[in-house]
Amino acid sequence: MTFVVGENCIKCKHTDCVEVCPVNCFYEGPNMLVIHPDECIDCALCVPVCPVKAIYAGSDLPMDQAMFLDLNAQLATTWPSITVRKPALPDADRWNGEPGKRVLLER
Amino acid sequence: MAAVITSAGRYQHSARAQAFLDQVESGKYNRQIITGLGKFLDGSAPNEMRTLYSAAELKSLAQLKGSVRDVEKRMPVKVTQHYFELARNSPSLQTLIKASPKETEDLSGAPDPGKQMDYSPVEGLIHKYELGLIYVASTCSAHCRFCYREELIAGKEVERPDGTVAPKGLAEIGSIVAYIQQHNSEVARNGGRHPQTGRERLREILMSGGDPMVLANKNLAAWWSALAEAGIENIRVGTKELAFFPERFDRTFFAMLDHFHQAYPGVRLRMMVHFNHPDEFLKKDVSGQYYDDPEGGLQWVAATKRAIVELGKREWLTIDNQAPIINGINNDPDVLRIMQRELRRNRVENHYFFCGRDIIGHKAFNVPIEEAWRILNQSQKGLSGVETHARLSITHYKGKTEVAAVTNQPLPGVPGTERGFVVLKLLRSAADAPHRGKVTIVGRNPEAIWFSGYDDRVIYDEAGLFTDVSQECGA
Repeated sequence: MTFVVGENCIKCKHTDCVEVCPVNCFYEGPNMLVIHPDECIDCALCVPVCPVKAIYAGSDLPMDQAMFLDLNAQLATTWPSITVRKPALPDADRWNGEPGKRVLLER
Repeated sequence: MAAVITSAGRYQHSARAQAFLDQVESGKYNRQIITGLGKFLDGSAPNEMRTLYSAAELKSLAQLKGSVRDVEKRMPVKVTQHYFELARNSPSLQTLIKASPKETEDLSGAPDPGKQMDYSPVEGLIHKYELGLIYVASTCSAHCRFCYREELIAGKEVERPDGTVAPKGLAEIGSIVAYIQQHNSEVARNGGRHPQTGRERLREILMSGGDPMVLANKNLAAWWSALAEAGIENIRVGTKELAFFPERFDRTFFAMLDHFHQAYPGVRLRMMVHFNHPDEFLKKDVSGQYYDDPEGGLQWVAATKRAIVELGKREWLTIDNQAPIINGINNDPDVLRIMQRELRRNRVENHYFFCGRDIIGHKAFNVPIEEAWRILNQSQKGLSGVETHARLSITHYKGKTEVAAVTNQPLPGVPGTERGFVVLKLLRSAADAPHRGKVTIVGRNPEAIWFSGYDDRVIYDEAGLFTDVSQECGA
Protein backbone atom coordinates (compact mmCIF):
# COMPACT_ATOMS: atom_id res chain seq x y z
CA MET A 1 0.00 0.00 0.00
CA THR A 2 0.97 3.61 -0.20
CA PHE A 3 -0.80 6.88 0.25
CA VAL A 4 -2.17 8.49 -2.87
CA VAL A 5 -2.84 12.10 -3.85
CA GLY A 6 -6.23 12.24 -5.54
CA GLU A 7 -8.01 14.52 -7.95
CA ASN A 8 -8.85 17.34 -5.57
CA CYS A 9 -5.20 18.42 -5.40
CA ILE A 10 -5.38 19.56 -9.03
CA LYS A 11 -5.38 23.36 -9.39
CA CYS A 12 -5.25 23.76 -5.58
CA LYS A 13 -1.78 22.40 -4.70
CA HIS A 14 -1.65 23.38 -1.08
CA THR A 15 1.70 22.06 0.11
CA ASP A 16 1.04 21.48 3.82
CA CYS A 17 1.73 17.79 3.23
CA VAL A 18 5.35 18.21 2.20
CA GLU A 19 6.23 19.76 5.53
CA VAL A 20 4.96 16.87 7.62
CA CYS A 21 6.21 14.06 5.40
CA PRO A 22 9.05 12.37 7.29
CA VAL A 23 10.55 10.79 4.19
CA ASN A 24 10.11 13.62 1.65
CA CYS A 25 8.19 11.46 -0.79
CA PHE A 26 6.15 14.25 -2.43
CA TYR A 27 6.85 15.30 -6.02
CA GLU A 28 5.63 18.46 -7.65
CA GLY A 29 4.02 19.03 -11.01
CA PRO A 30 2.69 22.29 -12.46
CA ASN A 31 -0.70 22.07 -10.73
CA MET A 32 -0.63 18.95 -8.51
CA LEU A 33 1.53 16.97 -6.09
CA VAL A 34 1.98 13.21 -6.08
CA ILE A 35 3.43 10.63 -3.67
CA HIS A 36 6.19 8.20 -4.62
CA PRO A 37 4.71 4.82 -3.66
CA ASP A 38 8.06 3.14 -2.99
CA GLU A 39 9.26 5.90 -0.70
CA CYS A 40 6.02 6.42 1.26
CA ILE A 41 6.18 4.65 4.63
CA ASP A 42 2.44 4.75 5.34
CA CYS A 43 2.71 7.02 8.36
CA ALA A 44 -0.54 8.84 7.47
CA LEU A 45 0.68 12.23 8.73
CA CYS A 46 -0.18 13.95 5.43
CA VAL A 47 -3.85 12.97 5.42
CA PRO A 48 -5.17 15.26 8.16
CA VAL A 49 -3.09 18.30 7.16
CA CYS A 50 -4.38 18.48 3.57
CA PRO A 51 -6.82 21.44 3.52
CA VAL A 52 -8.78 19.94 0.63
CA LYS A 53 -8.73 16.29 1.81
CA ALA A 54 -7.03 15.11 -1.37
CA ILE A 55 -4.89 12.36 0.17
CA TYR A 56 -6.07 8.79 0.69
CA ALA A 57 -4.63 5.58 2.08
CA GLY A 58 -4.24 3.25 -0.89
CA SER A 59 -6.60 0.79 0.77
CA ASP A 60 -9.27 3.51 1.22
CA LEU A 61 -9.01 4.91 -2.28
CA PRO A 62 -12.54 5.59 -3.59
CA MET A 63 -13.43 3.79 -6.81
CA ASP A 64 -13.58 7.03 -8.80
CA GLN A 65 -10.02 7.87 -7.72
CA ALA A 66 -8.52 4.49 -8.67
CA MET A 67 -6.61 5.90 -11.66
CA PHE A 68 -4.59 8.12 -9.32
CA LEU A 69 -2.78 5.14 -7.83
CA ASP A 70 -0.87 4.51 -11.06
CA LEU A 71 -0.72 8.20 -11.89
CA ASN A 72 1.10 8.97 -8.61
CA ALA A 73 3.58 6.16 -9.24
CA GLN A 74 4.23 7.32 -12.78
CA LEU A 75 4.50 11.07 -12.21
CA ALA A 76 6.65 10.70 -9.05
CA THR A 77 9.44 9.39 -11.22
CA THR A 78 9.39 12.35 -13.61
CA TRP A 79 8.53 15.35 -11.42
CA PRO A 80 11.01 17.01 -9.02
CA SER A 81 10.94 16.44 -5.28
CA ILE A 82 9.29 19.11 -3.10
CA THR A 83 10.18 19.39 0.57
CA VAL A 84 9.46 23.02 1.45
CA ARG A 85 5.99 24.45 1.74
CA LYS A 86 4.97 27.27 -0.55
CA PRO A 87 1.77 29.23 -1.26
CA ALA A 88 -1.14 27.36 -2.81
CA LEU A 89 -2.15 28.12 -6.39
CA PRO A 90 -3.96 31.49 -6.75
CA ASP A 91 -7.50 30.15 -7.19
CA ALA A 92 -7.10 27.20 -4.87
CA ASP A 93 -10.23 27.98 -2.86
CA ARG A 94 -12.39 28.33 -5.94
CA TRP A 95 -11.20 25.02 -7.39
CA ASN A 96 -11.58 23.07 -4.14
CA GLY A 97 -14.19 20.36 -4.71
CA GLU A 98 -14.80 21.18 -8.38
CA PRO A 99 -15.72 17.94 -10.14
CA GLY A 100 -13.92 16.69 -13.24
CA LYS A 101 -10.63 18.43 -12.52
CA ARG A 102 -8.61 15.49 -13.77
CA VAL A 103 -8.81 16.75 -17.35
CA LEU A 104 -7.00 19.91 -16.20
CA LEU A 105 -3.96 18.03 -14.89
CA GLU A 106 -0.79 19.51 -16.35
CA ARG A 107 2.20 17.21 -16.64
CA MET B 1 20.61 33.64 17.90
CA ALA B 2 19.44 31.08 20.44
CA ALA B 3 16.60 28.69 19.67
CA VAL B 4 13.25 30.28 20.39
CA ILE B 5 9.69 29.12 20.56
CA THR B 6 7.49 31.65 18.86
CA SER B 7 4.03 32.51 20.11
CA ALA B 8 2.53 30.24 17.46
CA GLY B 9 4.37 27.33 19.05
CA ARG B 10 6.60 26.80 16.04
CA TYR B 11 10.15 26.00 16.94
CA GLN B 12 12.86 28.08 15.31
CA HIS B 13 16.32 26.61 15.20
CA SER B 14 19.29 28.58 16.48
CA ALA B 15 22.01 29.73 14.11
CA ARG B 16 24.23 26.94 15.41
CA ALA B 17 21.56 24.34 14.75
CA GLN B 18 20.81 25.80 11.34
CA ALA B 19 24.47 25.58 10.36
CA PHE B 20 24.38 21.88 11.27
CA LEU B 21 21.04 21.30 9.52
CA ASP B 22 22.31 22.95 6.34
CA GLN B 23 24.93 20.19 6.08
CA VAL B 24 22.41 17.36 6.35
CA GLU B 25 21.51 15.40 3.27
CA SER B 26 18.43 13.14 3.35
CA GLY B 27 18.83 9.89 1.47
CA LYS B 28 16.07 8.26 -0.55
CA TYR B 29 15.09 4.72 0.27
CA ASN B 30 13.03 2.10 -1.41
CA ARG B 31 11.97 -0.24 1.36
CA GLN B 32 9.72 -2.24 -0.98
CA ILE B 33 7.09 -2.37 1.71
CA ILE B 34 3.94 -4.44 1.40
CA THR B 35 1.18 -3.05 3.60
CA GLY B 36 -2.07 -4.85 4.26
CA LEU B 37 -3.27 -8.36 3.62
CA GLY B 38 -5.16 -7.08 0.58
CA LYS B 39 -2.17 -7.51 -1.73
CA PHE B 40 -1.77 -11.09 -0.62
CA LEU B 41 -5.49 -11.76 -0.89
CA ASP B 42 -5.91 -10.31 -4.38
CA GLY B 43 -2.60 -11.72 -5.62
CA SER B 44 -1.10 -8.32 -6.42
CA ALA B 45 1.89 -8.79 -4.08
CA PRO B 46 5.17 -9.28 -5.95
CA ASN B 47 5.48 -12.84 -7.24
CA GLU B 48 7.97 -14.21 -4.75
CA MET B 49 6.32 -12.55 -1.75
CA ARG B 50 3.03 -14.30 -2.43
CA THR B 51 4.52 -17.39 -0.85
CA LEU B 52 4.56 -15.70 2.58
CA TYR B 53 0.99 -16.88 3.21
CA SER B 54 -0.52 -20.20 2.19
CA ALA B 55 -3.96 -20.28 0.58
CA ALA B 56 -5.40 -21.81 3.77
CA GLU B 57 -3.86 -19.08 5.94
CA LEU B 58 -5.25 -16.36 3.71
CA LYS B 59 -8.68 -17.94 3.77
CA SER B 60 -8.86 -18.05 7.55
CA LEU B 61 -7.58 -14.45 7.84
CA ALA B 62 -10.06 -13.23 5.23
CA GLN B 63 -12.92 -14.77 7.21
CA LEU B 64 -12.07 -12.54 10.20
CA LYS B 65 -12.15 -9.35 8.14
CA GLY B 66 -14.55 -6.78 9.58
CA SER B 67 -15.28 -8.84 12.71
CA VAL B 68 -14.06 -8.13 16.25
CA ARG B 69 -11.35 -10.66 15.52
CA ASP B 70 -10.03 -8.77 12.48
CA VAL B 71 -6.25 -9.07 12.93
CA GLU B 72 -5.55 -6.06 10.75
CA LYS B 73 -7.63 -3.82 12.97
CA ARG B 74 -5.43 -4.87 15.88
CA MET B 75 -2.22 -4.24 13.98
CA PRO B 76 -1.85 -3.36 10.30
CA VAL B 77 0.16 -5.90 8.31
CA LYS B 78 3.44 -4.51 6.98
CA VAL B 79 6.68 -6.12 5.79
CA THR B 80 9.78 -4.97 3.92
CA GLN B 81 11.37 -6.96 1.12
CA HIS B 82 14.53 -7.31 3.25
CA TYR B 83 12.67 -8.84 6.18
CA PHE B 84 10.64 -11.06 3.91
CA GLU B 85 13.89 -12.48 2.50
CA LEU B 86 15.14 -13.19 6.03
CA ALA B 87 11.82 -14.74 7.06
CA ARG B 88 11.62 -17.08 4.09
CA ASN B 89 14.00 -19.46 5.78
CA SER B 90 12.96 -18.76 9.38
CA PRO B 91 9.78 -19.98 11.08
CA SER B 92 10.53 -17.62 14.01
CA LEU B 93 10.71 -14.54 11.81
CA GLN B 94 7.53 -15.63 10.07
CA THR B 95 5.79 -15.67 13.45
CA LEU B 96 7.06 -12.14 14.02
CA ILE B 97 5.83 -10.72 10.73
CA LYS B 98 2.87 -12.80 9.56
CA ALA B 99 -0.66 -12.10 10.69
CA SER B 100 -2.29 -15.11 12.32
CA PRO B 101 -5.85 -15.81 13.48
CA LYS B 102 -4.34 -16.84 16.84
CA GLU B 103 -3.67 -13.17 17.62
CA THR B 104 -7.31 -12.43 18.28
CA GLU B 105 -8.43 -15.76 19.75
CA ASP B 106 -8.08 -14.48 23.32
CA LEU B 107 -8.69 -10.75 23.61
CA SER B 108 -8.40 -10.52 27.40
CA GLY B 109 -5.88 -8.14 28.93
CA ALA B 110 -5.68 -4.44 29.74
CA PRO B 111 -5.42 -1.64 27.18
CA ASP B 112 -2.54 -0.02 29.07
CA PRO B 113 -1.22 -2.12 31.98
CA GLY B 114 1.80 0.18 32.45
CA LYS B 115 -0.63 3.14 32.85
CA GLN B 116 1.52 5.17 30.49
CA MET B 117 -0.94 8.00 30.03
CA ASP B 118 -0.55 8.89 33.73
CA TYR B 119 2.99 9.94 32.90
CA SER B 120 2.25 12.06 29.84
CA PRO B 121 2.45 15.78 30.69
CA VAL B 122 2.68 16.86 27.03
CA GLU B 123 1.29 15.24 23.87
CA GLY B 124 3.72 12.64 22.60
CA LEU B 125 5.86 12.58 25.78
CA ILE B 126 6.01 9.97 28.53
CA HIS B 127 8.11 11.27 31.42
CA LYS B 128 9.12 8.33 33.60
CA TYR B 129 12.19 7.94 35.74
CA GLU B 130 14.93 10.38 34.69
CA LEU B 131 14.02 9.68 31.09
CA GLY B 132 11.58 11.23 28.69
CA LEU B 133 10.16 9.05 25.95
CA ILE B 134 8.85 10.82 22.87
CA TYR B 135 6.77 9.39 20.06
CA VAL B 136 8.24 10.82 16.87
CA ALA B 137 6.76 8.49 14.26
CA SER B 138 3.62 6.42 14.18
CA THR B 139 4.90 3.60 12.04
CA CYS B 140 7.88 1.34 11.47
CA SER B 141 9.26 -0.09 8.23
CA ALA B 142 7.52 -3.34 9.09
CA HIS B 143 5.20 -4.32 11.93
CA CYS B 144 5.96 -6.93 14.60
CA ARG B 145 2.74 -8.80 15.21
CA PHE B 146 3.38 -8.67 18.97
CA CYS B 147 3.84 -4.88 19.02
CA TYR B 148 2.49 -3.34 22.24
CA ARG B 149 2.40 0.16 20.75
CA GLU B 150 -0.58 -0.96 18.75
CA GLU B 151 -2.64 2.01 19.92
CA LEU B 152 -0.17 4.36 18.23
CA ILE B 153 0.57 2.27 15.16
CA ALA B 154 -3.05 1.35 14.51
CA GLY B 155 -4.24 4.87 15.44
CA LYS B 156 -6.52 3.69 18.26
CA GLU B 157 -8.13 6.02 20.73
CA VAL B 158 -6.79 6.01 24.27
CA GLU B 159 -8.25 7.36 27.47
CA ARG B 160 -6.34 10.10 29.28
CA PRO B 161 -6.24 10.52 33.06
CA ASP B 162 -8.70 13.43 32.69
CA GLY B 163 -11.19 11.08 31.05
CA THR B 164 -10.93 12.44 27.52
CA VAL B 165 -10.48 9.97 24.68
CA ALA B 166 -8.40 10.63 21.56
CA PRO B 167 -5.77 8.95 19.41
CA LYS B 168 -2.24 9.24 20.76
CA GLY B 169 -0.54 12.20 19.13
CA LEU B 170 3.07 12.58 18.08
CA ALA B 171 5.56 14.80 19.85
CA GLU B 172 6.34 18.21 18.41
CA ILE B 173 9.75 19.80 18.81
CA GLY B 174 8.46 23.11 20.18
CA SER B 175 6.30 21.68 22.94
CA ILE B 176 8.87 19.06 23.99
CA VAL B 177 11.67 21.64 24.20
CA ALA B 178 9.41 23.95 26.20
CA TYR B 179 8.59 21.14 28.64
CA ILE B 180 12.24 20.16 29.11
CA GLN B 181 13.26 23.76 29.71
CA GLN B 182 10.46 24.39 32.17
CA HIS B 183 11.02 21.13 34.06
CA ASN B 184 14.76 21.64 34.27
CA SER B 185 14.48 25.24 35.42
CA GLU B 186 12.05 24.20 38.17
CA VAL B 187 14.50 21.50 39.20
CA ALA B 188 17.39 23.97 39.21
CA ARG B 189 15.44 26.49 41.29
CA ASN B 190 14.62 23.77 43.79
CA GLY B 191 18.17 22.60 44.40
CA GLY B 192 18.32 19.65 42.03
CA ARG B 193 14.96 17.95 42.58
CA HIS B 194 11.59 18.79 41.14
CA PRO B 195 9.43 20.30 43.90
CA GLN B 196 6.40 18.07 43.10
CA THR B 197 7.78 14.84 41.71
CA GLY B 198 11.25 14.72 43.25
CA ARG B 199 12.69 13.91 39.86
CA GLU B 200 16.08 15.11 38.77
CA ARG B 201 16.85 17.14 35.69
CA LEU B 202 15.85 15.57 32.38
CA ARG B 203 19.14 14.52 30.86
CA GLU B 204 18.03 11.84 28.49
CA ILE B 205 15.33 11.57 25.83
CA LEU B 206 14.35 8.32 24.16
CA MET B 207 13.03 8.80 20.65
CA SER B 208 10.51 6.09 19.96
CA GLY B 209 7.30 5.51 18.08
CA GLY B 210 7.01 3.79 15.74
CA ASP B 211 10.58 3.83 14.64
CA PRO B 212 12.50 7.11 14.49
CA MET B 213 14.65 5.65 11.73
CA VAL B 214 11.72 5.92 9.31
CA LEU B 215 12.22 9.68 9.55
CA ALA B 216 14.43 11.42 7.01
CA ASN B 217 17.89 12.50 8.16
CA LYS B 218 16.82 16.12 8.22
CA ASN B 219 13.94 15.32 10.59
CA LEU B 220 16.21 13.33 12.90
CA ALA B 221 18.77 16.13 12.77
CA ALA B 222 16.15 18.74 13.66
CA TRP B 223 15.14 16.73 16.75
CA TRP B 224 18.71 16.06 17.84
CA SER B 225 19.92 19.64 17.60
CA ALA B 226 16.80 20.94 19.38
CA LEU B 227 17.17 18.39 22.19
CA ALA B 228 20.89 19.14 22.50
CA GLU B 229 20.20 22.84 22.85
CA ALA B 230 17.47 22.19 25.40
CA GLY B 231 20.16 20.64 27.61
CA ILE B 232 19.67 16.95 26.82
CA GLU B 233 22.97 15.09 27.18
CA ASN B 234 21.97 11.66 25.95
CA ILE B 235 19.65 10.91 23.06
CA ARG B 236 18.36 7.40 22.69
CA VAL B 237 17.02 6.14 19.39
CA GLY B 238 14.80 3.07 19.76
CA THR B 239 14.87 1.26 16.44
CA LYS B 240 14.27 -2.06 14.75
CA GLU B 241 15.48 -0.74 11.43
CA LEU B 242 18.68 -2.83 11.57
CA ALA B 243 16.43 -5.87 11.23
CA PHE B 244 13.77 -4.42 8.90
CA PHE B 245 15.82 -2.28 6.53
CA PRO B 246 19.53 -2.03 7.35
CA GLU B 247 20.18 -0.11 4.13
CA ARG B 248 18.68 2.87 5.95
CA PHE B 249 22.06 3.21 7.68
CA ASP B 250 23.66 4.61 4.56
CA ARG B 251 26.36 7.14 3.71
CA THR B 252 24.02 10.11 4.23
CA PHE B 253 23.03 8.88 7.69
CA PHE B 254 26.60 8.44 8.87
CA ALA B 255 27.57 11.81 7.38
CA MET B 256 24.74 13.32 9.41
CA LEU B 257 25.98 11.55 12.56
CA ASP B 258 29.44 12.98 12.07
CA HIS B 259 28.16 16.50 11.45
CA PHE B 260 26.03 16.22 14.57
CA HIS B 261 28.98 15.14 16.67
CA GLN B 262 31.03 18.04 15.35
CA ALA B 263 28.27 20.49 16.16
CA TYR B 264 27.36 19.02 19.57
CA PRO B 265 30.41 17.06 20.80
CA GLY B 266 29.06 16.71 24.33
CA VAL B 267 25.88 14.88 23.37
CA ARG B 268 25.92 11.09 23.39
CA LEU B 269 23.79 8.94 21.17
CA ARG B 270 22.45 5.65 22.49
CA MET B 271 21.16 3.39 19.76
CA MET B 272 18.62 1.07 21.38
CA VAL B 273 18.31 -1.64 18.80
CA HIS B 274 15.79 -4.45 18.69
CA PHE B 275 16.83 -7.89 17.54
CA ASN B 276 14.57 -10.72 18.66
CA HIS B 277 16.36 -13.55 16.95
CA PRO B 278 19.77 -14.17 15.33
CA ASP B 279 17.99 -15.04 12.07
CA GLU B 280 17.47 -11.28 11.80
CA PHE B 281 21.18 -10.65 11.29
CA LEU B 282 23.00 -13.95 10.59
CA LYS B 283 23.37 -15.67 7.24
CA LYS B 284 21.79 -19.12 6.98
CA ASP B 285 22.24 -21.94 4.54
CA VAL B 286 19.28 -23.82 3.03
CA SER B 287 19.28 -26.35 5.87
CA GLY B 288 18.92 -23.50 8.36
CA GLN B 289 22.50 -23.58 9.70
CA TYR B 290 24.51 -20.45 10.34
CA TYR B 291 27.86 -20.08 8.59
CA ASP B 292 31.05 -20.00 10.64
CA ASP B 293 33.10 -16.93 9.97
CA PRO B 294 36.70 -18.07 9.41
CA GLU B 295 37.79 -14.91 11.22
CA GLY B 296 35.76 -15.88 14.29
CA GLY B 297 32.11 -16.01 15.26
CA LEU B 298 29.36 -16.39 12.68
CA GLN B 299 28.72 -14.70 9.35
CA TRP B 300 26.30 -11.78 9.33
CA VAL B 301 23.93 -10.48 6.69
CA ALA B 302 26.14 -8.05 4.78
CA ALA B 303 24.00 -4.91 5.03
CA THR B 304 23.38 -5.39 8.76
CA LYS B 305 27.04 -6.01 9.44
CA ARG B 306 28.02 -2.90 7.51
CA ALA B 307 25.61 -0.79 9.55
CA ILE B 308 26.79 -2.23 12.89
CA VAL B 309 30.46 -1.78 11.99
CA GLU B 310 29.88 1.84 10.96
CA LEU B 311 27.92 2.59 14.12
CA GLY B 312 30.61 0.90 16.18
CA LYS B 313 33.35 3.09 14.73
CA ARG B 314 31.84 6.12 16.42
CA GLU B 315 33.09 5.97 19.99
CA TRP B 316 30.67 8.65 21.17
CA LEU B 317 27.66 6.42 20.67
CA THR B 318 26.64 3.13 22.25
CA ILE B 319 24.54 0.28 20.88
CA ASP B 320 22.27 -1.73 23.19
CA ASN B 321 19.87 -4.48 22.27
CA GLN B 322 16.60 -5.01 24.09
CA ALA B 323 13.88 -7.41 23.10
CA PRO B 324 10.85 -9.14 24.53
CA ILE B 325 10.81 -12.92 24.88
CA ILE B 326 7.95 -13.95 22.64
CA ASN B 327 6.21 -17.28 22.24
CA GLY B 328 7.09 -18.93 18.93
CA ILE B 329 9.84 -16.42 18.14
CA ASN B 330 12.66 -16.52 20.66
CA ASN B 331 11.48 -18.61 23.63
CA ASP B 332 14.45 -20.88 23.09
CA PRO B 333 17.68 -20.82 25.15
CA ASP B 334 19.89 -21.79 22.19
CA VAL B 335 18.50 -18.95 20.09
CA LEU B 336 19.09 -16.41 22.83
CA ARG B 337 22.57 -17.78 23.58
CA ILE B 338 23.71 -17.33 19.96
CA MET B 339 22.14 -13.89 19.82
CA GLN B 340 23.79 -12.61 23.02
CA ARG B 341 27.18 -13.99 21.99
CA GLU B 342 27.13 -12.58 18.46
CA LEU B 343 25.79 -9.18 19.47
CA ARG B 344 28.39 -8.68 22.19
CA ARG B 345 31.17 -9.67 19.78
CA ASN B 346 30.01 -6.89 17.50
CA ARG B 347 29.86 -4.06 20.04
CA VAL B 348 26.18 -4.43 20.82
CA GLU B 349 25.53 -4.63 24.56
CA ASN B 350 22.76 -6.98 25.71
CA HIS B 351 20.63 -4.66 27.80
CA TYR B 352 17.20 -6.06 28.63
CA PHE B 353 14.98 -8.92 27.76
CA PHE B 354 11.36 -8.18 28.54
CA CYS B 355 8.38 -10.16 29.66
CA GLY B 356 5.46 -9.47 27.34
CA ARG B 357 2.75 -7.18 28.65
CA ASP B 358 -0.66 -8.38 29.63
CA ILE B 359 -2.17 -6.29 26.91
CA ILE B 360 -5.25 -6.92 24.79
CA GLY B 361 -4.48 -9.21 21.88
CA HIS B 362 -1.22 -10.51 23.32
CA LYS B 363 -2.14 -13.89 24.72
CA ALA B 364 -0.78 -15.69 21.65
CA PHE B 365 2.64 -14.11 22.23
CA ASN B 366 2.97 -14.23 26.01
CA VAL B 367 5.54 -16.49 27.64
CA PRO B 368 4.87 -16.97 31.37
CA ILE B 369 7.21 -14.91 33.58
CA GLU B 370 8.87 -17.89 35.24
CA GLU B 371 9.37 -19.65 31.91
CA ALA B 372 10.93 -16.51 30.41
CA TRP B 373 13.35 -16.38 33.36
CA ARG B 374 14.23 -20.06 32.89
CA ILE B 375 14.85 -19.56 29.15
CA LEU B 376 17.10 -16.55 29.68
CA ASN B 377 18.98 -18.17 32.55
CA GLN B 378 19.46 -21.33 30.52
CA SER B 379 20.66 -19.29 27.54
CA GLN B 380 23.32 -17.63 29.66
CA LYS B 381 24.82 -20.90 30.80
CA GLY B 382 28.02 -21.29 28.81
CA LEU B 383 28.27 -17.62 27.91
CA SER B 384 31.18 -15.50 29.02
CA GLY B 385 30.42 -13.05 31.83
CA VAL B 386 30.50 -10.02 29.56
CA GLU B 387 27.94 -11.67 27.31
CA THR B 388 25.44 -12.14 30.12
CA HIS B 389 24.71 -8.52 31.06
CA ALA B 390 21.08 -8.73 29.98
CA ARG B 391 18.46 -8.94 32.68
CA LEU B 392 14.87 -10.02 32.46
CA SER B 393 12.63 -7.04 33.05
CA ILE B 394 8.91 -6.60 33.50
CA THR B 395 7.40 -3.15 33.46
CA HIS B 396 5.27 -2.60 36.55
CA TYR B 397 3.09 0.47 36.89
CA LYS B 398 5.48 1.56 39.61
CA GLY B 399 8.63 1.00 37.65
CA LYS B 400 10.97 -1.28 35.83
CA THR B 401 11.31 -4.54 37.73
CA GLU B 402 13.84 -7.30 37.32
CA VAL B 403 12.81 -10.92 37.58
CA ALA B 404 15.96 -11.70 39.54
CA ALA B 405 15.52 -15.35 40.49
CA VAL B 406 13.09 -18.24 40.33
CA THR B 407 13.68 -21.29 42.50
CA ASN B 408 11.92 -24.61 43.01
CA GLN B 409 13.06 -24.79 46.62
CA PRO B 410 10.74 -23.84 49.47
CA LEU B 411 11.87 -21.32 52.07
CA PRO B 412 11.87 -23.39 55.27
CA GLY B 413 9.06 -22.35 57.57
CA VAL B 414 7.58 -19.78 55.16
CA PRO B 415 4.06 -20.64 54.03
CA GLY B 416 3.30 -20.05 50.36
CA THR B 417 6.76 -21.11 49.17
CA GLU B 418 6.10 -24.86 49.07
CA ARG B 419 6.52 -24.94 45.28
CA GLY B 420 9.41 -22.45 45.35
CA PHE B 421 9.41 -18.67 45.00
CA VAL B 422 10.23 -15.76 42.70
CA VAL B 423 12.44 -12.79 43.61
CA LEU B 424 11.55 -9.48 41.96
CA LYS B 425 13.74 -6.43 42.30
CA LEU B 426 12.70 -2.88 41.52
CA LEU B 427 15.23 -1.32 39.16
CA ARG B 428 13.66 2.09 38.80
CA SER B 429 10.48 3.53 40.15
CA ALA B 430 8.38 5.25 37.57
CA ALA B 431 8.26 8.65 39.21
CA ASP B 432 11.67 9.03 40.79
CA ALA B 433 14.46 6.88 42.17
CA PRO B 434 14.21 6.27 45.94
CA HIS B 435 12.91 2.70 45.78
CA ARG B 436 15.64 1.28 43.58
CA GLY B 437 16.93 -2.07 44.75
CA LYS B 438 13.91 -2.96 46.85
CA VAL B 439 12.76 -6.54 46.65
CA THR B 440 9.47 -8.41 46.42
CA ILE B 441 9.14 -12.17 46.94
CA VAL B 442 6.14 -14.13 45.70
CA GLY B 443 5.22 -17.81 45.74
CA ARG B 444 5.51 -19.50 42.37
CA ASN B 445 2.80 -19.49 39.73
CA PRO B 446 4.15 -21.05 36.52
CA GLU B 447 1.15 -19.73 34.57
CA ALA B 448 1.56 -16.08 35.58
CA ILE B 449 2.14 -13.68 32.69
CA TRP B 450 1.71 -10.49 34.73
CA PHE B 451 1.93 -9.28 38.33
CA SER B 452 -1.75 -10.05 38.78
CA GLY B 453 -0.84 -13.73 38.61
CA TYR B 454 0.81 -13.32 42.01
CA ASP B 455 -1.80 -11.22 43.81
CA ASP B 456 -2.77 -14.16 46.05
CA ARG B 457 0.77 -15.29 46.92
CA VAL B 458 2.79 -12.27 47.97
CA ILE B 459 5.26 -13.24 50.69
CA TYR B 460 7.33 -10.12 51.13
CA ASP B 461 6.78 -6.77 49.42
CA GLU B 462 9.46 -4.26 50.30
CA ALA B 463 9.22 -2.83 46.76
CA GLY B 464 5.49 -2.22 47.21
CA LEU B 465 4.58 -3.84 43.90
CA PHE B 466 1.38 -5.27 45.34
CA THR B 467 0.19 -2.44 47.56
CA ASP B 468 -2.81 -0.38 46.57
CA VAL B 469 -2.02 1.61 43.46
CA SER B 470 -4.29 4.50 44.41
CA GLN B 471 -2.41 5.11 47.68
CA GLU B 472 0.97 4.84 46.11
CA CYS B 473 0.37 6.74 42.89
CA GLY B 474 3.40 8.89 42.14
CA ALA B 475 5.30 7.70 45.23
